[in-house]
Order: sequence, then structure tokens, then C-alpha cells
Amino acid sequence: MRRVYALQELAAPALLVIVAALLGTLVSVSTQTYFTDTLVKVAIVVALYVFIGNSGVLSFGHISFVALGAWTAGVLSVPASEKPAIMPNLAHFLLHRNVGNVASLVLAAIVGGIAAFVVGVPLMRLSGLAAGIATFAVLQITNNILQYEEKIGPGLNAFSSVPETTGLRQAALGALVCIVIAFAYARTRYGRLLRATREDDAAARAVGASVYRQRLIAFTLSGVLAGLAGGLYVHLLPVQANSLYLDLTFLTLAMLVVGGSSSLLGAVVGALAVSALDSWLSVAENGTSLFGWHVDLPSGTSEIVVGVLMAVVLILRPSGLTGGRELRLRLRLRPRPRPT
Amino acid sequence: MVDSLDVRYGGVHAVRDVSFSVAPGEIVGLIGPNGAGKSSTLHAIMGLAPATGSVRLGDAELVGRRPEDIARSGIALVPEGRRIFAELTVAQNLRLGLAGRQAHGGTKELYDGIHELFPIVHEFRNRQAGALSGGQQQQLAIARALVSEPEVLLLDEPSLGLAPSVVDVVFGALAAIKERGLAVLLVEQRAQRTVAAADRTHVLGGGELRLTLGPDDAADTEKLVGAYLS
Amino acid sequence: MTVTWQNLADGVGLGAIYALMAVGIGLVFGVLRLVNFAYGQLVMAGAFALALAAEWGWPVWAGIVLCFAVVLALSVAMDYLVFRPLRGHSPAVMLVATFAVAFLLQNIALLWFGSLGKIASSLSTLNRPWVISGVEIRKIAIVAVIVAAVCLFALNQLLERTEIGLHMRAASMDFGTSRMLGVRANRVISFAVIISGVLAAVVAVMLTVQSPLVTPDFALTDTIVVLAGVVVGGLNRPIPATLGGFLIGFATGVLGGALPTTQSQYLPTFVFVAVIVVLLVRPRGLFDFSRTVERV
Repeated sequence: MRRVYALQELAAPALLVIVAALLGTLVSVSTQTYFTDTLVKVAIVVALYVFIGNSGVLSFGHISFVALGAWTAGVLSVPASEKPAIMPNLAHFLLHRNVGNVASLVLAAIVGGIAAFVVGVPLMRLSGLAAGIATFAVLQITNNILQYEEKIGPGLNAFSSVPETTGLRQAALGALVCIVIAFAYARTRYGRLLRATREDDAAARAVGASVYRQRLIAFTLSGVLAGLAGGLYVHLLPVQANSLYLDLTFLTLAMLVVGGSSSLLGAVVGALAVSALDSWLSVAENGTSLFGWHVDLPSGTSEIVVGVLMAVVLILRPSGLTGGRELRLRLRLRPRPRPT
Repeated sequence: MVDSLDVRYGGVHAVRDVSFSVAPGEIVGLIGPNGAGKSSTLHAIMGLAPATGSVRLGDAELVGRRPEDIARSGIALVPEGRRIFAELTVAQNLRLGLAGRQAHGGTKELYDGIHELFPIVHEFRNRQAGALSGGQQQQLAIARALVSEPEVLLLDEPSLGLAPSVVDVVFGALAAIKERGLAVLLVEQRAQRTVAAADRTHVLGGGELRLTLGPDDAADTEKLVGAYLS
Repeated sequence: MTVTWQNLADGVGLGAIYALMAVGIGLVFGVLRLVNFAYGQLVMAGAFALALAAEWGWPVWAGIVLCFAVVLALSVAMDYLVFRPLRGHSPAVMLVATFAVAFLLQNIALLWFGSLGKIASSLSTLNRPWVISGVEIRKIAIVAVIVAAVCLFALNQLLERTEIGLHMRAASMDFGTSRMLGVRANRVISFAVIISGVLAAVVAVMLTVQSPLVTPDFALTDTIVVLAGVVVGGLNRPIPATLGGFLIGFATGVLGGALPTTQSQYLPTFVFVAVIVVLLVRPRGLFDFSRTVERV
């Protein structure tokens, strides 16, 4: 019975992603891009959830790993004939290396994981405010290096000419892979120990959990998923260093917070809900109609609405829309434990 | 003035239906083993812990009010661990006590009265408070509470970690404070000294009032031990 | 690398401005334990006020008054709408929330003023150099140092001499005990927020002299660098935070001017590596020596 309930926790977010993908097949090609983009965001937010959700420690740094994943997959996917034009200063050993679509995604995930591990070794000792600021520093450093280091990428230019393999199907598969891995991790001993440290540091130590090691494992794994998501992203549209920086950090954190950072379902619901709102508002900025009303919003409205939404959720309902709970279809026989 | 007070932290019921009162010019002791609810009672009075029931000062109801308002209405707490501001000078620590005072002016007389009780507070006024010894810090903490000219003085384990000679100073000061007409509520671990110094001493156990002792019971060791074990 | 007098003067000038921002961030952190990511957006709002005043042809003083009015109004609004409801939440939640506010304000500015920005030119004469014994130094560098010194001195007097200043210092050391003594939490917080807003307005005036083009991301980078400086110096203590802000501004100003572009473009990397190292090695900040108080 327990396993059945557990699978429900996987099924709900996975189904949401599949439904979103199927809906995407019904709309026009131009609208489909929004759905594809949304599914990549789901992957990023799930990566965030693996660390932030399970550990309760804040990270502003995950978009670094997304960016590194994008750079890895991008550099290895731009056709060799185009490389000198887009990346004239590229390091010699990268000039002629090219791999296929799937291999580039796998390598993106690996690079994301390695980077997260390297960053995590010193940083996972920190928590609270210090962790927030240190991971923010990581984001600054990554952005600074990617912008100016032209040996490893296009620098300030956009990553054009990357084969656009991330369609609806690849995005949905990528998001599902992230969800399954996140689910599986949460069910392992490591995931449970880490969540125990989130609830009560002292108690977790008492049963022998090394907070540091558990956090490092989660951080590395979430780096892997973030790298994968970055790979998906660069195959979707020509990204540049500044499109994988503060704005995306803000948007994905908003998604996690709005959905409820401590559950997988929350991460997915948040990503889908905020994306839907964001996409609709972006369309409305160019004029659209809703229930027969003509709507024409000034450009920038979507960011403002998302910003307000995030602040309001943080103030009024810090546990997010889903309240941080997984969906389980059963009656509550025991009274809910009182929050302490 | 404390009537059927209850304090719950989440699922923990720390204080259950406790009632007692303290009159001006009176010391009331509160003793009991660790976790009996002594500090929780003080925190509840001060508005630092979520409480139900009633705490009255004169006619004013205090439950549900903010700690700063309770402090300004005439109750001062000398907290456990003294909580002086180590990086401020002794004089600045004292000045902070004025935050809870309602009257204006007359600070000279106020300080004189306090210096009489605790000469070291005057002597070391320009020193960093963190550089004082534990006993001196305790005297400063009590002096700081008195600066607000409270009607009621609450003390949370003032003798904790102090040398016996300093404990004498603290208890001596309490007697003098009582003489000045303040109502004193004293939470202590040192049962015998407390029972001897107080007009009444309530024994708390498991969050409930178990027993009330008078000053004459101080010599009765058996009764004291029994009170703890009950 | 050759450091000129102009480089040094620019470094000191920028350091002075950053020191003020550091104090503004540090004061609010002291009483609320909240790192206000949106501080730069207060400066940005003030800068837009100056630019609009210039556009409307207002006299300089009126522009500065408008700048102060806008920044203070926004500070107080932030306090009531965001900071107060968030009080008692975890530091991480508060950090994310002010991050959201920063993003929100920046996008409101984008919506109103567009990404091209406006020019705040009324004080641009201060950008001209003074020649002091053969060395050219821009006036704004000197003005910035003087203004910052005056502000810091006034603030120091306020914290040392007045009752509310003492309450603020106590609250930033131990909020709970301060309230227990009768220090009124809301008053202390409002006061810190207002002073922090005043400093943001002063910074807005001086930064617009240095770079008159005001865009929605005005002062964003500066705020991020100052945050780094404040953390390196020591968040919770006014003097270390100020020092940290000054040093990082000085270093950025001097190195930014003196290093060739191929090197100076990596300045942020060095700055933020330093932040991480300090967080790991001296989490209370470089200049925090408070644990070494001797006992008598």
C-alpha cells in the first residue's frame, strides 16, 4: 500500500507535465514555444527543489549550473563550420569537437554536477543568510566569467546556430527525467536524512546524519539536473549570458516559492502556474482577448505581476500554494500534527 | 494578579492553570525542578511567550500585549543570563532602562537611588559592560531593570553561576528593593535561600502549582526535598 | 598598471558613496535581520526623480527635494507593505522577498520610463575637474567625500548621543532584550528605515552626477558590489560595514580606472571570490574583533 501512495506522489507531477505537453500539441506553432519553454522551466525548478526543497537552505546560485550546462551543450553542438564566426576566440580543443544532441545533454548534466560539487565542497558548510549570499556570489562569478571568457563560448554574444532539437517532446522528456530523479532521490535514505535535517538539525545529527555530506549530495544532484535543463534551454533558443542571470534566477525562485518549495508537486505546480500566467501576460502585452474583452497590457506587466505574486505569497503563505504537501488520495485518519 | 495562566509551545503544555499574586513590598518565590514552568511563567507575564488566562497589574490586563508595552506599563524583568549589552558601556546599559520608564525628569535622584544599592554600577559607569565580572553584570542587570521604576520586578535565576559572596549581595539588594515598596517575583534554583528570603514561595512541578511554603519552612529540609519530589 | 591621482580620487569618491550605501543596508539589517536587496532600487527611484525634475526644468534644489521625497515615501511604503509583514520569518524568506521587491521595482521603472532611460543633468557641472597643484581631480570626488563624511559624522552623533540612537544600537545587538526593556520595536524599525532612505537619496544625488544616464537597472551593480563589501566588512556592525563598503568602492574605483580592460572586466569575479572566502573563514566579517573584549 505504501508503494502505491508513493507512486501517487510521482504520478501527480508527471501527469501535469504530460498534460501540459499534450495541450501544447493542440495549439499553433508560435504558441507552442511557450509550452516548450514552460517545460524547460519545470526542469529548472525541479532542480532547484532537489536542493532547496529537501535541505531548506536557500540558493541563488543554481542558474550558474543552468548556464554552464547551456554553455557545454552549446559549444559542443554548434556546427564546426559556424564556430569561427560565432566564437572566434574559442579554445583550440573545442573548435573541432562536436557531439550529438543526446550526448550534449548528458555532458551538460555532467558539467553541471561537477560544478555544483566543486562549489558545494566549501559552500555547504553555510546556511541561512550566509548560504544565500555565497550562492549569489557564485552566480555573479559565473556570469562574469561566461560574459568575458571567449575561449569557452560566445562571450557577450548569443548562442546562435545551436540545432533547435528541444521541441515539445524533448522538453517534456527532460522535465520528466528531472521529476523521476528528484522523486527517486527523495525516497532514498539520503533524501530522507536531508529532509530530517531540514526539520530538526539537532535530531538529525543525533541519528548520525552528516548535514554537510547530505547537503553536498543534494547540491551536486541538483547541479546535474540544472545542467541538463541548461542543455535543453540552449537547444531551444539562442541564449546569452545575461538571459541566464538575475531575471531567470528570480523567475525560477518565484515559481518554487509560489508552488511551495518543500514538495515536488509544489515545484511543478509553481512552474506551470507562474509560466502560464507569465506567458498569458506576455501575449496580452501584444493585445489579446479574454472572454470577449480586449486586453492590451503595457509591456513589462508580466514581470510586475509575477513580482507582486511572489511577494504576496511569501508574506501571506510562505509554504506556497500547495502548502508544501504532496498529493495523496486518501482520507486523513490521524489528526494533522500541530505545527511547532 | 496571575490568574489561571496557561502557556503552550506547540504541543508542549508548559504552564497549566497557575494562579498567584504578589503585593507591593512583598517577595514571592517560585521554585521547582528544571522544566517545571518557572521561566515560562515569567515569559508569559512579560509577553514573551504565548499565554492564555489573565495577568493583571492593578486593573490593567497584560495578556496579549507586546513586551515593550508591558515593560512600559510598570513591569521589569531581569532575564536569565542577565542579557546585558556587552558592547555598550555600563552607563548606556542603564540608560536603556529608561525606555520602560513612564515618568520624565528626576533622573538624577533615580540614578542616585540605584547607585546607593549598587555602587559598582557608578564606579564602572564608563567601562564596557562586557568587561564586567558575572556578579557585576548581574548587579547591572538588576539596576537596569530598576531604572524603569517598575511596580513589579521579575527576576529569572539571578544567582545562577555566581560565587556565594555575590549571591549574598544579590539577595541583600532584593531585601532593600522590597523595602522600597516594589513587588518582587523571584524565580530561583536555590530553594532554601529563596524560601528564607521570600514572604511566600510557590513550588512548581510539571507546569502546575504544587505547594506553597512560608519563610519558616526554610529550615525544614525534609519538607523542601519532599516538595521537589512530589 | 599605472595609478594616477585621478584614479585615486575616483576611488576615494566611489568608496565614500559605497560607504553610505553600506550604512544604509547595515542599519536596516541591524534592526530587522533583513538584507535589503531592493536598496539599489530606492537609489534608482531617486535618480529618476532627479532626471524628471531636470526634464521639467525644475531648479536643482527642487529636484533634490523631489528625490528625497520619492525615496523616503518608497522606503516607508516598503517598510509597511513588506518588511513588517515579514518580521519573524526566516532570513532566507526575507532575502527572497526583498529580491522580489527589487525585481518588481525595476520592472515598474521599465514600464514607466522604458529601457533607454533619462538624463539627470542638473548637477553635471560637478563632473568638471578642479586643478590642485597641477593635478586634475573631478569635483564630484571631493564633494562625495565631504558629503559622506558629514553624513557619517551626523549619524554617529545620532547613534551615540540620542535616546532613539541608543535604542537602535541596542536593538541591533539584541532585539528581544531591547523590547523587554521597553524599546518600541516599530519606532526603532521605522527610524532605521527612514535614515536608510535618507542615505539612499543622498547616494542617488551623487551617483547621478557620476553617471547622469538613469536606466531601470541604475545602481543595481553598485548595490550588488556594496552588498559584497558589507558582508566582507561585517554585516551587523556599523563601522565594519562602512569600512567594507568604502574599501570595495575604493578598490573598484582605482582598479577599474587603472587596470587594462582585459583584466578589469574580471573585477567582479575577484570581488565575489573574496566574499565567499570571507564567509567561509570569517563569517562575522573581516573587521569584527568583538570577541576579543578583555575582562577586568
